[in-house]
Amino acid sequence: MNLRSVLVITVKEIVDNLRDRQTVFYALLFGPILLPLILGGSLAASFKQLSIDFEEVTELAVAGAARAPSLMAFLAGQNVDAVAAPDDPRGAVARGEVPIVLQVDVGYEQALRRARPASLTIHLDEADKASAKAARRVEALLGAWERTNDRLRLQHRGLDPTVFDTLDIVLDDVSSDGASGQLLASLLPFLLIVSMVMGGFYLAIDTTAGERERHSLEPLLGLPLARHEIVLGKFGATLAFVCLSGLLCALSVWGLFRLFPADLLGSRLRFDAPTVAAALLLALPLMPFIASLLITVSAWTRSTKQAQTYLGALMVLPMAPFFVLQFLNLGPSAWLMPWPMLSQYLLLERSILDLPLSAGSVAASVIGTLAASALLLWLGCRLYRHERILA
Amino acid sequence: MIVAESLGKSFPATGGSRRATPVQAVKEVSFEAADGQITGLLGANGAGKSTTLRMLATLLRPDRGQARIDGHDVETDVLGARRQLGYMPHEAGIYPRLSARENVHYYARLSGLPAADARRRTGELIEQLEMGDFADRRATGFSQGQKTKVALARALVHAPRTLMLDEPTNGLDVMATRGLRDILRALAERGHCVLFSSHVMQEVAVLCDRITIIADGRIAISDTLPGLLERTGQGQLEDAFVVALGHRVERPARLGG
Repeated sequence: MNLRSVLVITVKEIVDNLRDRQTVFYALLFGPILLPLILGGSLAASFKQLSIDFEEVTELAVAGAARAPSLMAFLAGQNVDAVAAPDDPRGAVARGEVPIVLQVDVGYEQALRRARPASLTIHLDEADKASAKAARRVEALLGAWERTNDRLRLQHRGLDPTVFDTLDIVLDDVSSDGASGQLLASLLPFLLIVSMVMGGFYLAIDTTAGERERHSLEPLLGLPLARHEIVLGKFGATLAFVCLSGLLCALSVWGLFRLFPADLLGSRLRFDAPTVAAALLLALPLMPFIASLLITVSAWTRSTKQAQTYLGALMVLPMAPFFVLQFLNLGPSAWLMPWPMLSQYLLLERSILDLPLSAGSVAASVIGTLAASALLLWLGCRLYRHERILA
Repeated sequence: MIVAESLGKSFPATGGSRRATPVQAVKEVSFEAADGQITGLLGANGAGKSTTLRMLATLLRPDRGQARIDGHDVETDVLGARRQLGYMPHEAGIYPRLSARENVHYYARLSGLPAADARRRTGELIEQLEMGDFADRRATGFSQGQKTKVALARALVHAPRTLMLDEPTNGLDVMATRGLRDILRALAERGHCVLFSSHVMQEVAVLCDRITIIADGRIAISDTLPGLLERTGQGQLEDAFVVALGHRVERPARLGG
């Protein structure tokens, strides 16, 4: 085999496609930057809205604060500073002037003194996420204050407060990162794989089905070149774009997850540089697999339109493991490991969750994926040897 | 030098069932195209010209017969045959996002020329084919004549002994056609074997040293222009073509008298 010819074709296809805006957009912008931003950004935003930072100092509009000095002191100790509420608390919340208003009702002090339930009202707008979040924080703080007071009341009457605790329920979440951690952990393989596929997508179509449609394939096939050199040249160019997309995506994911609050990601979930680098390393065998899959499928189709349709349908492939793993609880069992894409999802997820990876699993994944790539490339070369390629 | 002996090629019928009779594109084609001459493969559309050229260019495998390009068998010594051959298909098929120079240079490199030689050879061809005005422009929006020149330069870049062109004057204006004729004549004078297919009688009559008429997948007759006219007893190539195909030449009745 003449490697120089392969390299000449690879370089030409890269230069040619770098001049194509569509290819460059999908390879360098869409997969590596836009997709992580859209998916990761919206996830980060929703986590930020859902999670409460009890350390954060906030102001709380309180109506009748003077009736509950001890409660105000407790709230101040919990980083919540009471400010005077507007005259019409309900209206003010409805109009969005303040997120919530805590109203200390008339008779609050008297009820407390008589050891009766003292009435407090939280005015909130459940439809407004900021208001609901503020209300949850205040509710949690009031609950804590109430539990302390309950115990004090019982002890005053000479009763052991634990008498009222029938059950002592302990939730032991062994995942340590919960459902959100699992979702985030599978996000990186998802982004990485979709990005790599998108990176090579248009170049593969342009260099195979596109070349035939432009009638430039016929003179090319008439050159003193072996057909497998042509296929390998095109494969090389696609692989370069797939690798570049993967690398850029890993970089942007690493950058993006630095914006996530550390405690949100759980104790085990990591997106630091070594983790992202390890993920990229585990995904490495996927790059030739994706490139050969794109080249062979689009070489098999009869036009760029057909290639886009077939490869578009094939885009489900990188997404399938993501959804399958969300529904089925599949561990890294031996029979799953040789499967390209599925095994990388499982391995990358474990790597991000800082779970141990067995050398056997990694080896099975690498060998299975590389074998599948070789098979696809061989099929691609066969297609190019056939007269049908010109039809 | 091209030698074709009893070439035959059929294709599966398209759109029909698998058992439909295959289409016999080329039934029996034998001819020679000598060095230092321009040989015209003349035939109507669908006569089998392109299929014949594609078999000679090693792109299609003949079902029957054999062919050699400068002694290299197109089936058993594919790469050897390709090295001797410059092939310009019916469609120019140049890369629109590359410049004319890049298009030619790419083929030079793929034909095995080292980078420096490829640059020099590309420069020579750009000068020889008068492509200087558009050599460094991207090929998007090139005229048909410009595209043909780029495709011709690509076919010539590895200095092949034999040049094969499939309907090269299609879509060319008068001046571009005349320019192409001059180039082909100059190549033949330098000892190259030039084979080109066409369905335009005038084109073939003006340019070719030898004319091979193909009809319905068979060679009807092959000779020089004077030889053809003599053998068919006609005064013009068009009439000779009709007679060679086994038809009678109908002359319109003279008006008046």
